[in-house]
Amino acid sequence: MLIAEFTVAAIQAVATVQVVDRSPAALCAAILQAVGAASRILYAPPQELPASLFSEFAADPRVRANATPDEMVNSAAGVTEAFAAVASTGSVCIDVSFERTGIVSLMAPLQVAVVAAETIVPQPRDLFRADVLDGRGLKRDFVFVTGPSATADMGPLVRGVHGPHKLHIIVLRY
Amino acid sequence: MSVATPVNPADINPRQVANKSDKKALLDAIRMTLSVQSPAVRRNTQTFNRNRYAATALLPDYNELKDRARQIKEDAIANLPRLLEQLEASVRANGGHFYLAKTAADADQYIRDVLLRHEAKLVVKGKSITSEEIKLNHALEAAGITVAETDLAEFILQVADEQPSHIIAPALHYSRERITALFKRKFNTDLPLDTGEELTVFAREKLRQQFIAADAGISGANLIAADSGSLMLVESEGNIRMTMTLPPLHIALAGIEKVVPSRTDFGTFIELLPRSGTGQPLTSYVSILHPPLKAPSFAAPGKAAKPREFHLVLIDNGRSRMREDPILHEALYCIRCSACMNCCANFETVGGHAFGGETYSGGIGGSWEAGTGTLMNARFSELCTGCSRCVTQCPVRIDIPWLNENLRQRMNVEQPSSAAKSAFGAMTGSASEDRVAPLQKQFFANYHVMAGEAARFPAMANAVTRLPLVRGLMESVVGLDRRRKLPPFPPKTWEQLYRDEHADNRPRAAKSASADVLMFADVFTNYGSPERGMAAMRVLREVGINVELSPSSPDGRAAISQGMIATARRQASALAQLLLPHLEKGRVICVLEPSVLAMFRSDYEHLLDAGTWEKFARASFMEPLQALLSIAKEHGTDLSQIFRASKSPHGTRVFYHSHCQQRSCDAAWQTIEVLRSCGFDVVTSSVECCGMAGSFGYKREYYELSMAVGEDLFAQVRVAEQEGGPRTLVASGTSCHEQLWAGMGREVIHPVELLVSTLG
Repeated sequence: MLIAEFTVAAIQAVATVQVVDRSPAALCAAILQAVGAASRILYAPPQELPASLFSEFAADPRVRANATPDEMVNSAAGVTEAFAAVASTGSVCIDVSFERTGIVSLMAPLQVAVVAAETIVPQPRDLFRADVLDGRGLKRDFVFVTGPSATADMGPLVRGVHGPHKLHIIVLRY
Repeated sequence: MSVATPVNPADINPRQVANKSDKKALLDAIRMTLSVQSPAVRRNTQTFNRNRYAATALLPDYNELKDRARQIKEDAIANLPRLLEQLEASVRANGGHFYLAKTAADADQYIRDVLLRHEAKLVVKGKSITSEEIKLNHALEAAGITVAETDLAEFILQVADEQPSHIIAPALHYSRERITALFKRKFNTDLPLDTGEELTVFAREKLRQQFIAADAGISGANLIAADSGSLMLVESEGNIRMTMTLPPLHIALAGIEKVVPSRTDFGTFIELLPRSGTGQPLTSYVSILHPPLKAPSFAAPGKAAKPREFHLVLIDNGRSRMREDPILHEALYCIRCSACMNCCANFETVGGHAFGGETYSGGIGGSWEAGTGTLMNARFSELCTGCSRCVTQCPVRIDIPWLNENLRQRMNVEQPSSAAKSAFGAMTGSASEDRVAPLQKQFFANYHVMAGEAARFPAMANAVTRLPLVRGLMESVVGLDRRRKLPPFPPKTWEQLYRDEHADNRPRAAKSASADVLMFADVFTNYGSPERGMAAMRVLREVGINVELSPSSPDGRAAISQGMIATARRQASALAQLLLPHLEKGRVICVLEPSVLAMFRSDYEHLLDAGTWEKFARASFMEPLQALLSIAKEHGTDLSQIFRASKSPHGTRVFYHSHCQQRSCDAAWQTIEVLRSCGFDVVTSSVECCGMAGSFGYKREYYELSMAVGEDLFAQVRVAEQEGGPRTLVASGTSCHEQLWAGMGREVIHPVELLVSTLG
């Protein structure tokens, strides 16, 4: 239910969405398909999801879990976990105080966010409730990411400004 | 009154006319914006406006959210001193620094000192309108610190050296073409910058270097939670995230009114703020942080990472004074979403460089400029016509017209008194405290006196007011623009026609007295359109409603719109005495003129004593076709059997424009439903206001603006008529009639007249 609503809203917000099985192989295939020919992929290891789920992906030689500053500003894609998602708006919630998750989700032209289906909540306001997701939304530093960065300041609507130009969301099935 | 000298709009930078305490600056700014900025402002504000209507309609509990938001803000402002103490403790507990600046200069000095202590040379700034209020960039640049504005709109303004023209899209007065020209000139480049993408890439490349090299980042904050020191920041470009994430030093700057009790309160505002602003369910990025962030800061290539440091700088700068002010404290509830600007017909036409001051703009902007500066800085709030569209769109339900009417009243008092003004005021019935108001305001406020005199000798009055000499005098003495055609005074008033009807012994009671309605003889219909008034009564009688006419009496609308609140109060109290016996009997009161209906429904809360207002609030005031529809539904009456559109000499094709205040009273859709159910083919306007707005469009200094606003409406008529030919023009407000008549040059009728025309 929430997966379907989330997917429709995220696509409306000009993100792309893929729902995959919860296995290292399926996740790795989905991420690599999304990043295409990127020669360097920034990666922030997860806080909630088991790191083992990312093991196959992290083994790819293009992946940098400890990028240098220079690599940080010169990579085509950044992959992080999202600890929650919002069905009504198609948003993913990224923790910006956990290690490099915030910066990896921000600097590269393509953002890939991996979120577990059971952490999709109905509305943005649910992140401000103590009884939802153990009240994580009340404790963490995070950002609701809804589509790629955009501006209308230069006249027409342009996608891809200071933040990512594209957002790809991978939802891990229940 | 001084006449503004014509200006060449291309010669003035908006900064030159930002301060409008001198009226000439306001008039110059209107000319400049109409000639240079209007197309971009219209396109951008109207896009926000359409998107907001669509996005808020998707919230099933929109009204409950607004009630909750209002309650949170009321409580927060009431408890502000305690919340500020709590917030300070929270920020310190998080490991941040807290500074409460009394004045703009205090805030500038504190921020400058922090930056100098860190030997910061380059600062990146996210969007912060509050920093414009305190002129932070000047203060920092004077100390040798380079400030890079990173929001693309603020970047444009920094390049152009202009003030913001809109609270969330500060450069929305710039078309793509004008940005291209600006960048080519200022950056002396031959790069092709002919699309939004090319311009964005150009600015992004420049700013990416600044983000990487920056020593510090300065952001604003949309909301701040006292319980946890959490900030909420709403954006779409990603520049605010970079500002807060990359440099080791983060300074957040905001007004003290941004504080709410708890982070749980963000849950209400996150649903309302983006939808009310850009009309998006959420903008690309909404950050929720309690800095300093635990993640390491970004070290530029070749540099070592530094530990993070966070400062929250809150500014008072007049806000505590606003909090004590019985009227202006309501402005502190503002969450700066821009809905009041985007749904304002005048703002849509000129934007914040005319309808705005040095920092703040739009309907709410006058209160902010007066509150953080001086009263006369709010002069531009004259462009608020009181149409009330914003009241329905504000997520915290601020009564913005009431704020502006009070500013106007305070500005009237600042005017020097004169013998002529007091004599004119005494003659026309201004309350004694309002007799300092300019002649023009007293003239329009006391319309009923002039109209009453004219009604005694209408033929003579019409002959006299057609004389060029008289129009010249009216223009120079009271500022009534001579280009406006004055509708002629009819030979008899509504009251006289009603009396004549009785003298004729024509049937007075309805066919079956199943309902009982008192029709209020508002002064506009009584003196200006008595036949329309009679038509309204006839329409109601046709469905079996027993209807009587009240005596005519001024309702205070004209006076309140001129800021003559004491006069309005006096008129309202007298009228209340007249209506109370009817209210106590539970009679429905029908009001033909929507601006008067709005007085009874809402404005009287401010004008009547609490006990009387309570009776008004409980009473049933209705637009005539609202009453018609509700009674027809109640009795199962088939309106199409009574009013057959096919029999109307006006034809069945109509273009209907409802009145701004009629829509704010939720009393417009009923007319459309009635006309359609009678078989009319109805195309409706979608403009917020016709631009006439009572006396506004008659005033010499606002005539051009009024006609420019009307152009949207006229264009919609032309589009509707492209297919299938002409349509009968139908409108519900007196002002809308005059404006459509002026713009289209043909007859405009009221829905009740259209219905009567079907009766043969």
